Amino acid sequence: MNKVKIKSKNLNVHYGQKQALFDVNLDLNEKEVTALIGPSGCGKSTFIRCINRMNDVIDICKVTGNIEIDGVEVNDKNLDVVSLRERVGMVFQKPNPFPKSIYENISYGPKIHGKGDTKSELDEIVENSLKKSALWEEVKDRLDEPGTSLSGGQQQRLCIARAISVNPEVILMDEPCSALDPIATAKIEELIDDLKKTYTIVIVTHSMAQAVRVSQKTGFFHLGKLIEVGKTEKIFKNPDNKMTQDYITGRFG
Amino acid sequence: MTKEERLKKRHSAEKRFRFYGLASIFVALLFVLILVQNIFSKGSSAFIKTVIKTEVFYNQELLELKNGASEKDIINADFYEVMIESLIKSFPAKNIDEENELIRLFSADAEYEIKKAFLNNNNLIGEKIILDLTASDDIDQLHKGNYPRDLPEDRRRISNFQLAIYDNFVENGKIGKNFNNYYFTKGDSRDPELAGIGGAIVGSIYSILICLLLAFPVAVLASIYLEEFAPKNKITDFIEININNLAAVPSIVYGLLALQILLATIQLPRSTPLVAGITLALMTLPRIIIPCRASLKAVPPSIREGALAVGASKFQSVFHHVVPLAMPGTLSGTIIGLAQALGETAPLILIGMVAFVVDIPSSPIDPSSSLPVQVYLWSESAERGFVEKTSATIMILLTFLMIMNFLAVYLRQKFEKRWN
Repeated sequence: MNKVKIKSKNLNVHYGQKQALFDVNLDLNEKEVTALIGPSGCGKSTFIRCINRMNDVIDICKVTGNIEIDGVEVNDKNLDVVSLRERVGMVFQKPNPFPKSIYENISYGPKIHGKGDTKSELDEIVENSLKKSALWEEVKDRLDEPGTSLSGGQQQRLCIARAISVNPEVILMDEPCSALDPIATAKIEELIDDLKKTYTIVIVTHSMAQAVRVSQKTGFFHLGKLIEVGKTEKIFKNPDNKMTQDYITGRFG
Repeated sequence: MTKEERLKKRHSAEKRFRFYGLASIFVALLFVLILVQNIFSKGSSAFIKTVIKTEVFYNQELLELKNGASEKDIINADFYEVMIESLIKSFPAKNIDEENELIRLFSADAEYEIKKAFLNNNNLIGEKIILDLTASDDIDQLHKGNYPRDLPEDRRRISNFQLAIYDNFVENGKIGKNFNNYYFTKGDSRDPELAGIGGAIVGSIYSILICLLLAFPVAVLASIYLEEFAPKNKITDFIEININNLAAVPSIVYGLLALQILLATIQLPRSTPLVAGITLALMTLPRIIIPCRASLKAVPPSIREGALAVGASKFQSVFHHVVPLAMPGTLSGTIIGLAQALGETAPLILIGMVAFVVDIPSSPIDPSSSLPVQVYLWSESAERGFVEKTSATIMILLTFLMIMNFLAVYLRQKFEKRWN
């Protein structure tokens, strides 16, 4: 059992009057893939967006309770969001490469964080990030082409490479395969398997099969509440909760 | 109603709609065509001027100059006598009245034209050369066929004697047509043949540049702040509504504002491009902010999130990603705003730009005219020669506007980036 990397305690999130998360207590282990499943609007994405404080962007969103990474409180007003997001990367549902070259897509993060001052250092970071995201062989000869010219699956791997480029500890993935075809999905899943050796990964997914394939731990959300969490095998074979059982067997959701 | 009938009805409704659409486009094009045809047919002759080929004798007795005289001496010298002598010799006049009528066939600048020829070649003392002297407005219009000859003499500006001279000149091939350089290089004048849009163009360029320098940075920064940084609350909403309202305020109101604040209170020099530029900037500001905000809004939130997620600060995500992506739209909005400002007349009339300015302004604080105001001024003038000048100036103004609009479309299409 790996040690706990991220710990949430009584986490509540409100969007204006509407409460999106209710007292979520969830531990995420280091160098492991945790899958979050549940029907649409159940708060999975809201939860992971709390980890890198992406909810700050939304004016009406209010987060109370605690989230700790390595024992450091994330919701602390004095915490520098920029350095938090340097440690916690994120990949979104729809691939969102910058409309710039492939090279610039990757080098942007390191540049703004002052990593890789020289061209050769940056080249190395770009190459390593693309290799880690299994994209290097496909794009090494056309790093100057716009990132948006790649296929959907390649774009998503580019976004993963972009997240990796700043050498984070945690990578959050918000339904990273929902816009991709099965072949591209398979590649991303393979990649996730590989990445968990280095990074703590949290993945939100609507595909039960994907959760089984990539994750070691699974949490099931319903209507803003964490219903059940445990080893992936256990959740899918023998869940404790009736609702989890119903969801994974496709009776609702 | 049966299914077939309903289907038929639907199809005919579509056909009707297409017909209405086509008809509307046709009517719109027809009006544009009429306008353009009208302006062209009236205005194109302004680019050509009538000249009278005249033998000029640089008579030493009448000039206090020697061959090889310095430029300064030539400029100070009096060429009036030379001019009078040369003009009178161009046609046999019997008495002083006839001589005066003869001289009036030439433009008031004949002396200057004779002097200029001497400036180009200062070895002309004692020589006779043939010069293309600009004809007076009456002859110019007569030659262009805009002047009715069949009116009784007392209702014509041209006397029978002058007509006789004109016919004689035409017979002897002395009347010619040259490119009207005066139209582009000179300022306004009471004499249509000497009036030009040089001053108006320079005034317009100064005004638009000042407008651009003031309005563009303020509008862009205001848009960025409102769109990206401002908290979403009542005050922001209030500001937004007011910006939209300001864009719809009639331009003459901005003229009144400028009259009171810039001229009366701050006492900036009136009739100047400086004041015009500031006034137009006030007017253009909301008209730039609106498209600028729209193009910022059009940048998908996913780009901002992507930047924030790799640890960019809000400022970095906006200035590294959002603003560059919004730039094409911002620039084309700015250019269209400036094009509107370029064609704006009402506020400039209020700040005194209708003044009669002969000199071409050498700085933004010199009194000046501007293109649309020049159109307005000339359209009110009685002389026939100003009719073609008015239309020609509209052509020039429209050309500028078309170039700017084309530039706006080009910039948008060339630099607009697509995402996903």
